[in-house]
Amino acid sequence: MVTIETVKRGAKNGINTVLELGKVIIPVYLFITILKYTVILELISKWFQPLMKIFGLPGEAAVVLVLGNLLNLYAGIGAIASLTLTAKQITIIAVMLSFSHSLPVETAVSKKVGVSVLAVVSTRIGLAAVSGIILNLVI
Amino acid sequence: MAWILNILEEGLLGGIKSVFYIALIVLPLMITMEIGRELNLLEKIAEFCKPLTRWMGTSKESAFPLAVGLVFGLAYGAGVIIQSAKEGNLDKKSLILVSTFLVCCHAVIEDTFILMAIGANGALLLTVRLIAALILTYILSKYLK
Repeated sequence: MVTIETVKRGAKNGINTVLELGKVIIPVYLFITILKYTVILELISKWFQPLMKIFGLPGEAAVVLVLGNLLNLYAGIGAIASLTLTAKQITIIAVMLSFSHSLPVETAVSKKVGVSVLAVVSTRIGLAAVSGIILNLVI
Repeated sequence: MAWILNILEEGLLGGIKSVFYIALIVLPLMITMEIGRELNLLEKIAEFCKPLTRWMGTSKESAFPLAVGLVFGLAYGAGVIIQSAKEGNLDKKSLILVSTFLVCCHAVIEDTFILMAIGANGALLLTVRLIAALILTYILSKYLK
């Protein structure tokens, strides 16, 4: 039965999620903002420009993919928010991240179920790369 | 010194603002999901997943873990998969196929809304994820025979 308790439980879940998000997004946003004022982000951007161009993304978007894959989706989101990207670029990188994120943690989960780690990781990264390339061409 | 404070201010305010926009979406979403849980919506989503399981070539029992993973994420989905496998409700092929599907596509409600909050095209995002997961699982189901 839906009561006021249901709504309270939902609100509590929501607040917990927002706190979890905040703990990751705010430091990542701050970190990248600081990087923006150093030469580091410019260097990363230059190095990754040839690779990221395949997905229609600027070089500095590599930071989003690295943080999202090594930490979690929320870290990737914090990084997206701190960069200046177009709507098309945000959609492309969001699809790529949704296929491939939190690799250390989620691979541990799939291992528990008994699926091959190498297969899982290569499938996810493969899907991210292919979807990025295709989306860049079609949207 | 003032410039250091300016950078810190820009970074912290920007981060807090992003979290605030996401909170505007996540709070109502979580309340809605909790109401849905109370109304046994998960059973209905599992019912909806049944044709999907036929198409994927997995057992009918895999509809429930599939629904849980799609709605609540990989960790919850995996929990239900392990439980079902222990109880003998899930054969090896179904287990691999359901896991494959969920690895590609999980927590679709929450993730889609959060990514929409920062400016992504949610409909496109969801469609691409579902189609990719379906194709991959379908191919694997033929290969596993």
